[in-house]
Amino acid sequence: MNLDLPLVFAALMGLAMLMYVVLDGYDLGVGMLMPAADAREQELMVASIGPFWDANETWLVLGVGLLLVAFPVAHGIVLGALYLPVAWMLIGLMLRGVAFEFRMKAEGWHRELWNWLFWFGSFLASFAQGFMLGRYITGFHSGFGYTLFALLVGASLCGGYVLLGATWLILKTQGVLQGKALGWARWGLAWVALAVALVSVATPIASQSVQVKWFAHFPYDPRTLALMLLPIATLAAGWLVWASTGRLKRGEPQADWIPFAAAVAIFALAFAGLAYSLFPFVVIDRMTIWEAAAHPSALKFMLAGVAIVFPFLVAYTAFAYRVFRGKAHAGLYE
Amino acid sequence: MDGTEVLLLSRAQFGLNIGFHILFPTLTIALGWFLLYFRVRYARSGDPAWLATYKLWTKVFALSFAMGVVSGITMSFQFGTNWPGYMQKVGNIAGPLLAYEVLTAFFLEATFLGVMLFGMNRVPGWVHIFASAMVAIGTTLSAFWILALNSWMQTPTGQVTQGGQIIAGDWWKVLFNPSFPFRFSHMLLASGLTASFVVAGLSAWRLLRAPEDKSARATLRTGLLVAAVLAPIQAFVGDQHGLNTLEHQPAKIAAIEAIWKTERSVPLVLLAIPDEDQRRNDFAIEIPKGASLLLRHDADAELKGLDAFAPDTAPVAPVFFAFRAMVGIGVLMLVVAWSGVWAMRGGMPPRWMLWTLAGFTFSGWLATLCGWLVTEIGRQPWLVTGILKTADATGGASGAQLGASLTGYVITYAAMLLAYLVVLTHLAGKGAQA
Repeated sequence: MNLDLPLVFAALMGLAMLMYVVLDGYDLGVGMLMPAADAREQELMVASIGPFWDANETWLVLGVGLLLVAFPVAHGIVLGALYLPVAWMLIGLMLRGVAFEFRMKAEGWHRELWNWLFWFGSFLASFAQGFMLGRYITGFHSGFGYTLFALLVGASLCGGYVLLGATWLILKTQGVLQGKALGWARWGLAWVALAVALVSVATPIASQSVQVKWFAHFPYDPRTLALMLLPIATLAAGWLVWASTGRLKRGEPQADWIPFAAAVAIFALAFAGLAYSLFPFVVIDRMTIWEAAAHPSALKFMLAGVAIVFPFLVAYTAFAYRVFRGKAHAGLYE
Repeated sequence: MDGTEVLLLSRAQFGLNIGFHILFPTLTIALGWFLLYFRVRYARSGDPAWLATYKLWTKVFALSFAMGVVSGITMSFQFGTNWPGYMQKVGNIAGPLLAYEVLTAFFLEATFLGVMLFGMNRVPGWVHIFASAMVAIGTTLSAFWILALNSWMQTPTGQVTQGGQIIAGDWWKVLFNPSFPFRFSHMLLASGLTASFVVAGLSAWRLLRAPEDKSARATLRTGLLVAAVLAPIQAFVGDQHGLNTLEHQPAKIAAIEAIWKTERSVPLVLLAIPDEDQRRNDFAIEIPKGASLLLRHDADAELKGLDAFAPDTAPVAPVFFAFRAMVGIGVLMLVVAWSGVWAMRGGMPPRWMLWTLAGFTFSGWLATLCGWLVTEIGRQPWLVTGILKTADATGGASGAQLGASLTGYVITYAAMLLAYLVVLTHLAGKGAQA
């Protein structure tokens, strides 16, 4: 059997990154929404992500770990170019991670301080991740326009995470807080729609090769039609978020998981578009996945581990989500 | 940019990060097993005091685990940002070991931690015990992988060079390289001692305020007994680890013992001020023929000095002093553990004993950090012995970027550590709440 190992690992890395963005995305989003809620609601919000955030962040370690071990040369280039935003993100993740624990044990102004750090850390990490993405898809070019673009993507990702966090809260809470979350989700969606539109227009302008990929056959070619399915499906998912939150707002019958699922679909579709834009590069226009790949012996050894461990990983992750299904309750350690 | 400055800043930053990180896994690896013990005691007795004990120490665990996770995520990035040459040279061996750690250990512990912390009323008792066991196994597994990698870097075996690349010829030999069994058991025992002193010390702190607290008495007894059993075993394993180092990394032993010249009947230097320029020890207090006797079990045996390995030798003073500090703290921990058990035989230990134990709460951390300095500085200038020098692994970031981010990390870590210690003493002071 002759497996294209670099391709397999690129797919695995992409999967890990998508899992990370969706999973940690909703808990970062909940963190960013904290200031908009009162003290009792904050307890519920924290309780809704408490059992999951540790494992959610592990996907980041897996994603960057796969980049490190499967594409070591690219890892050096990418993280070297993103050195400072990586440091911001890490400091943000550290602050929110420990603030999560500390706030539960603190009282009075101490708790307020940790709440603030939880919000700030969530925001800093989200913004830094978006900024990094913006730098990455434009090939780390320097210049005012590129920096502005990266800042734009940073703000967009914050909006995306707010959408994920708000729809997660629709799923995990009820009553007044759920009502608030419905409003947040609609604001988040508007933000995401604006951001997706801006990024979709700006990316082909910023990157020649992305432009070629999407518009070389434009418009009289069946491939264009296939490509247009992505934006159409994204629009449909966005509409679904809007319509389902509208029905919930009006108190009409509507499954409470639909907005979250539709938000996840928006992320998955955006991710697919991005993957199409980049492939087969791991560093855009500079290095393909085959040029960057580690030695086949290392990749084979790891693939064996992935094949053995992955079913267990999926099984016990599903188990954990099943244990904590349903609406969140305050009083985490009870 | 000056290369030495980048090297220095890269090392300072990575050293700070890994030194901060190591504190928390060292505590949680063994504390996970303590928790499992408390949980099983509760399941068998149904005594609410054990439940309260379990819940209190779960909070300590959760806090320490979170500190370990966030600093560990930082490390996973710094491998690449601070040491790009490392992954380029030995990535085909280091990479898979790190990947296995993430896959087999990190997800396991993080996922079951959620069930363990928040799921007690949502799953049957045996499932909750199972989750606690998975967390303990996960933390121990992560130690297995990372120490296999660290040991391979110290005493590499099993690798082959193919087309200019270093790859694994035999993964079994890579994993079970000569120093691995010693380093792994030394580290697990260090974790056991660290956790047992934290358990005993924080319990003593509680008993100073509330002498009648039954839960604190039980945990004080547990912590002390475990410490008293592990301390002598650690002394033995540490000695064996040293003999293994003499066989495979003799240059490190020469630095530890400050042996400058290769000769016979080498004295054991108890204390001295090593002088790097003159290559001699000032103000030395020595036991004649002691080093030869200790290391070769023969008073007249020859020992290789630093001159045999020049110029590839480690800086002597930090290794020499860190080793003596580690052994000194270790001996004190043994004395304190044994006298604590002795003082507890009639019930409550006297107050001065409780104060001593409270003072020794974090002694395991100090000893672990000293031991870590010995082993990591002691292998310099090599990053991977005989294969890659530390100086050849830097690159990527500039001195200015390293300096700016280092400042950010220092402030963040200092604040986190302060908050951690405040919350820990606060939790311990309140004691277990039924």
